[in-house]
This record gives sequence, structure tokens and C-alpha cells, in this order.
Amino acid sequence: MIEAKKIYIFSPGLRVWHWINFLTIMVLFFTGLYIGNPFFLGPVGVEATYAYREGITMDFIRKVHFIAGYVLLASFLFRVIIAVFNKRDRLVFPAVWRKDYWTSLKEITLKYTFIMKDKEGYEYIRNALARTFYPLVYLMILFMIATGFAMYGMSKPSSFWSFLLGWLLGFLGGEFSVHAWHHWVAWLIIIFAVLHVYFVIREEAIKKNGELSSMFSGYKVFEKEPVDIKDIEE
Amino acid sequence: METFWETFKRHGVSRRDFLKFATTITGMMGLSPSMIPHVVRALETKPRVPVLWIHGLECTCCSESFIRSATPLASDVVLSMISLEYDDTLSAAAGEALEKHREEIIKRYWGNYILAVEGNPPLGEDGMYCVVGGRAFLENLKESAKGAKAVIAWGSCASWGCVQAAKPNPTTAVPIHKVITDKPIIKVPGCPPIAEVMTGVIMYLVLFDAIPPLDSQGRPKQFYGNRIHDTCYRRAFFNAGQFVERFDDDGAKKGWCLYKVGCRGPTTYNSCGNIRWYNGLSYPIQAGHGCIGCAEEDFWDKAPFYQRLTTIPLPNVEASPDKVGAVAVAAAAAGAVAHGVISKIRNKGGK
Repeated sequence: MIEAKKIYIFSPGLRVWHWINFLTIMVLFFTGLYIGNPFFLGPVGVEATYAYREGITMDFIRKVHFIAGYVLLASFLFRVIIAVFNKRDRLVFPAVWRKDYWTSLKEITLKYTFIMKDKEGYEYIRNALARTFYPLVYLMILFMIATGFAMYGMSKPSSFWSFLLGWLLGFLGGEFSVHAWHHWVAWLIIIFAVLHVYFVIREEAIKKNGELSSMFSGYKVFEKEPVDIKDIEE
Repeated sequence: METFWETFKRHGVSRRDFLKFATTITGMMGLSPSMIPHVVRALETKPRVPVLWIHGLECTCCSESFIRSATPLASDVVLSMISLEYDDTLSAAAGEALEKHREEIIKRYWGNYILAVEGNPPLGEDGMYCVVGGRAFLENLKESAKGAKAVIAWGSCASWGCVQAAKPNPTTAVPIHKVITDKPIIKVPGCPPIAEVMTGVIMYLVLFDAIPPLDSQGRPKQFYGNRIHDTCYRRAFFNAGQFVERFDDDGAKKGWCLYKVGCRGPTTYNSCGNIRWYNGLSYPIQAGHGCIGCAEEDFWDKAPFYQRLTTIPLPNVEASPDKVGAVAVAAAAAGAVAHGVISKIRNKGGK
């Protein structure tokens, strides 16, 4: 048995992106909930025109939502760019053409259904279930950006966004349906976030391998040589 | 054929009134003032265009709306600006004579007439759910479209399918673009479309001898470019977060935003907010009722009209997306905790 080894996995860019992404999605989700269903009224008893001085208004919450939307877009582009230039940041794709992906998929399924113990089997930089679900999450974020900016852009029909994404509204069956889609996918992302946090804590609690702190430090501890180590070696 | 200006002169319209008219319709067509000379020039030189107006499965609300157009007057459009050769609901003639006239016009003006379609064809039972002059409307439509220069799809029926195409669509009614695939189609949706939008589209076609600029869904941009929400006079209340919660509450009396009682203004593209109805008198939101989105695709299937988002059809439960989402997140969290506890026990010992 080889000694436990610290392996550097997450680049600084990726870590910064992760936390910005987290904050942005939280802001977008809660402002979005209000926009979809304004559960409290804005300032009443004032002229609508001057309401913004008196407290939190729909206008303000939408503005926050749109600004956060731009931040999400920028951070998404940043994420794509670092993946182009840094091998470590390309872990997102499921390596279905490799044998170790399928072995890992089998093992992780058995572990999550309590048939196998977590200490058994091989170790992986990133297990196959994560490799499968992360691309879907990126797709969901991309979907939210696309539908979001399509709806946002149509406020000004001659704008860049309506030119770029306006067709999406008709394609998805009208803007009413797009609102609904935007809503549903937002909830899916939050469900992912809950499960994501759980599996991170679970990994940390069982293996004590620094999973939880790895998104701050960039390092994880492995007792065996991970099978997919080549994915992060330069 | 005589030009508009010649027709106007024959009716004793002065040059001054003619120019006023040209200016007005330039505005109504959604064009900038710099286009006025072009409109005048077109009115002076363009001949009147023959129009065939056919009716499929519909309720004639488009025609009813059309004849209420104030600028320009529908009568002016029908009698002086276009030459309306066939319209089963407006023609004085009827029966075989009229049907024969339609065939003659198609032959005589092959490639030059405009086909206006109100309503849509049902495909079920070989189109027998809609029979005009003893033949399936489907055949009528195909035959009339063959020689047309352009096709106007009047209303939500012709553009999207509307109520007869709503689920479960027993007659298999389809919008006309599913049947006519080789002609430019201008969609003028709405149930009905605004009168001035209808006359505006005809004016544009006739005066510029061209299709107006269309959006990605085939609707004229100048009339369907903006959301009702973005042109709504109640928008300030939306921005302020002042919402009507019920139709009998204080907010409703004060004329606040109808967003929370299901107004479709934020998702509907039409000119109700700026052109309005009945010569600019009012529109649904101004009358205190939310927009139902009648100009949007499949709006009947996007019920209920008094809720912002569609609910999921679960028996005896009102499942709004937020409720379902919250329950799903709670379930995921509970599942995670349970899974975590079992995982911990399973992995105990065996270091």
C-alpha cells in the first residue's frame, strides 16, 4: 500500500469561478422566485413612480436579477475559457470511450446503494456519476442564460439579445412556455445543489479526504493512485 | 387599374386631405415620418391590388374587428384602396356566381393577387369538418394560394390554430402555414387582431408591394415587436410592486398591475398597449381584466388564465411550479440525510 498522497486538482481560476457561480445562482434563484410570484407587495400608499425611494420594489429586484444574470454569463464564459487553456479544468466531460468510466460507474452505483463499501474498489479523481451529471448542470446553466437573455432582450426588440436569442421564444412554444421552462430548470439546479452538497459532505465524512476543503485549497488526499490521474497531469 | 390618387380624385378628395391621409397611415403602419414621401409616392403610382379573402374554421371576429378600423376606415380600404374581389361574408353576391368569380380572379391576376385567410383548415376526415361551396375548405385554400403573391394569415386561427386546434383538437385543425409552404405568409395573430393592425398590414403590402419586416415567428415587427407588458400604461405599478391580488380588492379599484391575477401581458406580443382598441378607446388591461395572450401560440392550452404559470395536472392538488419545486427540494434533502445515515453505518469500521 502506497502512502496517502495530496493531489492538486482544482486550479485557482476554477475555485474562484465555483464560488462566484454559487453566489450568483443563489441571488438569481431567490430574486427569480419573487419575480415569478411577488409574494410581498412593494411600497403602497405612494405614487408608483416614487415607490423606489420607499423600499424594495419589483423594479429593484428585477435589476438585481439581471445584473446577476450578466455575472452568470461572464463567469460561464470564463469557465469555458479556462477549460480551453488548462487540462485540469477539462474534467467535466464523461469519458465514455474509456474503460475506467464504466468501471467507476458500476462501482459508484454499488457504493451509493450500500452494496459496496466506500473504501473498496479503485479511487478516482472524479467519479463517473459526477462526470455524468456535471455536464448536465453546465447545460442547465447555459439553458438558463439563453432563455433568460432571450426574455430580457425582447424588452428592446432591436437589441443585440433579441437578435441573437429572440428565435428561441418561438422555438420553445411562445414566451409563456419559456417563463415556465426557466422556472422549472431553476428548481432542477437547486435540487442539484442540494444533492451536490450532500455528496460532498458524505465523501468527506466517510473518507476524510479533504473533499469539502478542496474547493478552497485545490488539494484532495488519495490513499491509492487514482485511475484517471492522467486527466489532470500536464 | 387606377391608382389610389386617381381614385381619391374621382371621389373629390382634395390634395390637402390626401396628404393628411398619407401622413396618418404612415404613422399607423409604424413607419417613421421620413417615410411620408415614399407613402405619398406609392399612393400616387401604385395600382389597387386584388384581394381574395377566404374563410375557413373561424368565428368571423377578424372580419368584425376589421370593419371597425378607424384609421384608415375599413370602408375606404375595401372600396378604394384594395379591390376586394371575394369575401363570403362581406360580398353582396353569393353562391355559385361568387365561387365562379373567385376562380376567374385567380386566373386573371395569377401571381398578382393577395390571399387573405381567416380561419384555418381542418385536416381530419379529408377536411370535411369545414365545407365551403360544396368543397372542403382545405382544397379551396390550396387552390387559392397557388397563384397568390403573398398570403395573409388573419387572426390566431390562421396563424396558430386557436380554439379549434386547442387540445384535443378533434378536427385536426392546423394553422395555414402547415398547408401552404411555398408562399410568403404574414401572420397577423390575435383573437381578433386589432383593426388598425389589419388595415396597416394591408396598406403596407399594397403601398410598398413588399412583405413588411417579419420577426422570427412571421409576424410584422412594427405591430408585434413589443410585449404588451412593455407598452402597458399600468407598468409603473408593476415596477413599484403594487399588484392586484383579487379582482375585488383595493388594488383593483386603484388600477394596479394585474400580474398576479394571471395577466399575460409579460408574454404577449401585440399592439394593444399603444394602438389600443375601438379607435384607441381602451384595451383589456385598461378595462381591469388581465390580458389572456390571445395573439400567442396555443394560448387556449396555457390555462388557467388567472394564474401566472401553468399548474401541473395532478388530481385534486393545485401544483404550482414553486410548490412542486419546494417539495422536490425537501424530498431531496430528506433523502440525502437518510442516505447519509445509512452510508455512515455501512462504512463503519473496516479501516
